[in-house]
Amino acid sequence: MDIVVCIKQVPDVPNIRIDEHRMTIIREGVESIINPLDCVALEAAVDLRERQGGRITVLSMGPPQSEEALREALAFGADQAILLTDPAFGGADTLATSHVLATAISMLKPFPDLVLCGRQTIDSDTGHVGPQIAEELDLPQVCGVNEIDLQGDSLVVKRLYDGFLDTFRVNTPALLTVSQELSSPHHIPLADLERAFSDREIIRWAMKDLNLKPEEVGLGGSATRAWKLHKAAPKRRGEVVTGSPQSLVEHLIRKLEALSILDEESGNE
Amino acid sequence: MKKVEMNSPSKGIWVFGDYRHYFQNRVTLQLIAKAKTLAQRLGAEVTVVVLGEEVHQYAMEYVAHGADVVMVVDHPSLKNFQVETYSRLVATLVEDYRPEVFLAGATPFGREFFPRLAKRLKTGLSTDCIALEVDAETQLLLQTTPAFGGDLLAEVITQNHRPQMATVHPGVFEERIHDSRPVGRIIYPEVDIHPDERVQLVCSRPEQSKKGYLENAAVVIVGGRGIGSGEQFQSLFDLAELLQGEVGATRPAVDAGLTGEDRLLGQTGKSVKPRLLITIGTSGALQYTTGIQGSETIIAINRDAQAPIFKIADLGLVGDAHSILTLLVEKLRKRL
Ligand SMILES: Cc1cc2nc3c(=O)[nH]c(=O)nc-3n(C[C@H](O)[C@H](O)[C@H](O)COP(=O)(O)OP(=O)(O)OC[C@H]3O[C@@H](n4cnc5c(N)ncnc54)[C@H](O)[C@@H]3O)c2cc1C
Ligand SMILES: Cc1cc2nc3c(=O)[nH]c(=O)nc-3n(C[C@H](O)[C@H](O)[C@H](O)COP(=O)(O)OP(=O)(O)OC[C@H]3O[C@@H](n4cnc5c(N)ncnc54)[C@H](O)[C@@H]3O)c2cc1C
Repeated sequence: MDIVVCIKQVPDVPNIRIDEHRMTIIREGVESIINPLDCVALEAAVDLRERQGGRITVLSMGPPQSEEALREALAFGADQAILLTDPAFGGADTLATSHVLATAISMLKPFPDLVLCGRQTIDSDTGHVGPQIAEELDLPQVCGVNEIDLQGDSLVVKRLYDGFLDTFRVNTPALLTVSQELSSPHHIPLADLERAFSDREIIRWAMKDLNLKPEEVGLGGSATRAWKLHKAAPKRRGEVVTGSPQSLVEHLIRKLEALSILDEESGNE
Repeated sequence: MKKVEMNSPSKGIWVFGDYRHYFQNRVTLQLIAKAKTLAQRLGAEVTVVVLGEEVHQYAMEYVAHGADVVMVVDHPSLKNFQVETYSRLVATLVEDYRPEVFLAGATPFGREFFPRLAKRLKTGLSTDCIALEVDAETQLLLQTTPAFGGDLLAEVITQNHRPQMATVHPGVFEERIHDSRPVGRIIYPEVDIHPDERVQLVCSRPEQSKKGYLENAAVVIVGGRGIGSGEQFQSLFDLAELLQGEVGATRPAVDAGLTGEDRLLGQTGKSVKPRLLITIGTSGALQYTTGIQGSETIIAINRDAQAPIFKIADLGLVGDAHSILTLLVEKLRKRL
């Protein structure tokens, strides 16, 4: 089973700071990591390869330094790594991002049996890219899976969704996005990491290698502009009340009724 | 990339009718209400698109909640909300009617379906919006979404592509009350349905396994260091049971052995997004609050009026955890 895992290099979000003056993100000094759910996907791919054989290709679109993320993925167990990098790819929304990724996947020979993505990233967190690659490649999709089993030519996958545990049978080739519960990424031995950074090769494809035009990629291929950043106002600043325990509890019960957590009480107690 | 003609005459605002778990999932009704105010600014009509089997009752409900038009496709093969089948079908409707704006709730389904649909239509999409406005000058939809873990907000616009699509966080807009004399109409467009056989739903059952009990709870009661003893902590379970919720804990409560690690919330524990979270005797450390920020409503109880937890609470009660809890459990028991 040939598997493609899409990985995105992201800043370690809890540590980013904001330039309050210019309303931009200060990335300097913030470590870059592989988007955590992409590691979960990679672990699942390694597990499937152990059971089924096949090759794992990791794919990332990003600036040249995304190479580090790909090398880490090689150390993790991927067989080959492809970096999609070109100045023209900058400023892409998910429409343009998924177009570049889908184009690269369609050039792989043989076409993969399975494409795995994270359900969403920790930086921009749209969760669009998986379903949009699936649409472009006309693949069936299931998002947020927490279990993958193989049964002949099809996959049996589970996911927790709106309070229901759904089980699907999906024909391959297919695209799945993964949730946290699917796997626990293993620790990478330091020796493997060192080897991945010294001996392994990264394939690089730019716009022309993918036969794409400027108006299809980056800013030009995007439909949205994420254009102004604001500091989020403190999300809520509700009232803070003091008083006797009785009055506080009454206040609380009224709130529960207003939220329809409790039914309004009709009569007296 | 294909662009839909911008000067198309109809200026429809569409809402995707997600009627599953109708009484819990109110986001479609909230969107109809919001769409009505946007429609006034744009001189547009609000259309709700409803797909499924025997969905007439929902169509009527949407009319009663203010929809100008409800577009219904009723067919047995549309019974399950299936992304591939739905995107293909809805894309043809969009191409026929060319709405300006198309909104859906940011439910797990909405977040899986809308990206695929937007891609098929080659248009822009923003996700999990917490505000929507019409720009007075350009008439474009200004879509505000949380970014970078919620500390920043990004304003997103779709300039030249149509429809302008967005999914919206449940609970940010308020639904309208039932209209006693609704005037909306229900239409049944002619469409071809092509069920996608490549994904088959084998079974679907309410999740009861241990794994997601906290993450899926509609109500979560959290105890922190301020709860004090194990006996006190037990009363959190009483409260949770009365409100049909689950119990979570902060790090000190777990470390003190008041409950298991599986109930830990925060950076090193679980993240929850219940409809209601009541947090008791917790100071509001960032490592904890990152795990609860997605909650729709937060009520905090703390004896210290300066506790940071009140900054993120919708309602704060300053008082002793023990007395409030005891009294609350007592009152709720009486109501049963
Ligand atoms: C503040 C801000 C707001 C934004 N708002 C929007 C918006 O509303 N609409 C919009 O269309 N775009 C938006 N963008 C642009 C969007 O973030 C980029 O297109 C980004 O490249 C992909 O989106 P994501 O990180 O949300 O990916 P997601 O869709 O959350 O990613 C899911 C999975 O797809 C794969 N993946 C994603 N990106 C890559 C990649 N570059 N290489 C390899 N695999 C990848 C990974 O497996 C990942 O886990 C915004 C960007 C910013 C900075
Ligand atoms: C790297 C790192 C990761 C961490 N990850 C997590 C995590 O995942 N989850 C987590 O929870 N913590 C985590 N922590 C710990 C976190 O920083 C806080 O120490 C912790 O959340 C505090 O828990 P607390 O609010 O219960 O206790 P405290 O901070 O001690 O607060 C107790 C509160 O109870 C109030 N109180 C006391 N008595 C009463 C009473 N009788 N009635 C009413 N109120 C009362 C006090 O006024 C006080 O505000 C992490 C810390 C680090 C450094």
